[in-house]
Amino acid sequence: MAAIDVQDLRKQFTVKHKAAGLGGSLRALWRPRLGVVEAVRGLSFRMEEGELLGFIGPNGAGKSTTIKMLTGILHPTSGEARVLGHVPWKERRQLAYHIGTVFGQRSQLWMHLPAVDTFQLFGRIYELDPAETRRRIAMLAEAFEIEHLLETPVRKLSLGQRMRCEVAASLLHRPKLILLDEPSIGLDPVAKQRIREMIKRMNAEEGVGVLLTSHDAGDIEALCKRVIIINHGQIVYEDRLSALKRRYLTEKDVSVRFVEPVTVDVAIPGTELVKAGGGGYGLKLKVDTARTNIAEVLERIGHLGEVEDITISDPALEEIIRTIYEQAALSGDGGSANPEASDAPAT
Amino acid sequence: MTTLRRIRVELSFLAALWKTNLLAALEYRASFISQVLGMLLNNAAFLAFWLLFFQRFPKVNGWGMRDMLGLYGMTATGFGLGVVLFGNALSLADIISQNGLDPYLSLPRPVLLHVLASGSRISGWGDILTGLLCMALLGPPDAAAWLRYGAAALVSMIVFISFLVLVASLTFWIGSASALSGSAINAILAFATYPMSIFDGSAKLILLTVIPAGFIGALPADFVRHYTGRGLAQLAAAALVFLALALIAFHRGLRHYESGGLATGMGG
Repeated sequence: MAAIDVQDLRKQFTVKHKAAGLGGSLRALWRPRLGVVEAVRGLSFRMEEGELLGFIGPNGAGKSTTIKMLTGILHPTSGEARVLGHVPWKERRQLAYHIGTVFGQRSQLWMHLPAVDTFQLFGRIYELDPAETRRRIAMLAEAFEIEHLLETPVRKLSLGQRMRCEVAASLLHRPKLILLDEPSIGLDPVAKQRIREMIKRMNAEEGVGVLLTSHDAGDIEALCKRVIIINHGQIVYEDRLSALKRRYLTEKDVSVRFVEPVTVDVAIPGTELVKAGGGGYGLKLKVDTARTNIAEVLERIGHLGEVEDITISDPALEEIIRTIYEQAALSGDGGSANPEASDAPAT
Repeated sequence: MTTLRRIRVELSFLAALWKTNLLAALEYRASFISQVLGMLLNNAAFLAFWLLFFQRFPKVNGWGMRDMLGLYGMTATGFGLGVVLFGNALSLADIISQNGLDPYLSLPRPVLLHVLASGSRISGWGDILTGLLCMALLGPPDAAAWLRYGAAALVSMIVFISFLVLVASLTFWIGSASALSGSAINAILAFATYPMSIFDGSAKLILLTVIPAGFIGALPADFVRHYTGRGLAQLAAAALVFLALALIAFHRGLRHYESGGLATGMGG
């Protein structure tokens, strides 16, 4: 059974438009101008149980609206969705027993109390046996390395510590699926890494499916095997992360440091000179591997002078995603940049 | 799940929420004590004014200090219980307009019950104490009168909270009912502390329907003084009708809930 099955899901919001200034406000009072914003436009996708699926897109792309419809917080304008066999907006409470949610910009913990008090309250909310709640708190405290934080009022925790407690709280009732909306927002790189490791561990140990939304490509790269990219409420790309990289990694970044200063006076075919600096010691190139062989480029670089150090790297996922957004924008309809996307989920 | 088990589960959940609220309030001991004492003093000042008034005019339209103690005590108890047990009713309009229902909607409990009981106003303990003191001053202790007092206070609380939910639910349709909610709270509390006998027919009708202040102060206080089957039936019917209206309005409105991107959290 699919953990999530979404068909042509749409959500429109009515918004009031108003001209600037007092005159505009008075006119809006008398005759309001209403418009419709389409936050989600015909979204269809599927996620298998236990899968790690990344849902990525810029601010305002429709990620959070989609998550809110999948948890039953919002009613869609049209379309269908089943999450663990439930229609979220019709069977919200039944579904809530089987899913966990973390909204990075909103806390589920009681700020003035130690996290352990919220954990115990959650035990009652999910109707867990008190002994089972205690066992589960101990297990999650160990897994998320929060034993020493449990008795500190949440308001006194750092953002990273609080977020570990938030994710642990969302797993208290052994959900089959957790929906994480921007869980790493505002975290420093170390805290981000810890959260990612812990989510990965819970996926491996408990088989919990993870739908992760983020506008940080690093989250997706570290956690997910399959990725859906949305923009303007539509899917612009859907496939395995490895396929995404293969398809879009036709460029390599090459950084060279020479023993002696060199002069780059002849362009190397199939490459773009990004930077020649460092007093002639440094050189940065972008190589289009579809047009030129990387070995040839390296040979040409060798002719320029004696190489002290060389680094060949893939472009960051952010760059790939930016390319996909640009392609989608050029195509004008925001439609899929990958019509042949494989249906097979990552395992 | 049987209805009986469902009720037991929800009551157990409510008890856990109230305990959590109390724990949160006790995190700041000095603030807790000062707010309770402050409210007691505030209420004492109000009653002192009436004491001075009735010393000069012992009976006004058949009303004296004892009647005022009964009326004010009942209103204070109903209000106090409401804001201690369902404190988020006072800020429900803001919670709705600022997307604060999201965390409650993602948990498997009744949304309205969960959001209302997730907040508690500490000063309400001062109002409850005021009500108990007023009742004690009216003594001598009589078990039946205390029982009537408990039942009447429950009705007063239910009608008060239901009225606040009804007004706050307008937020789902008009976008923001915060100012309206504030005015409604002031209006209902002001009218609840005056005897019904000073109002004429149409004003009385308004105070039993549109602004149901009569069911928060005067009628429950009358019931504590003199038991009548009719009085009991009136109070029970009022509690059920206003509760039903509040539930219908909130759940109809919930279909129009448009959660945006503001950051909000749980608790009161």
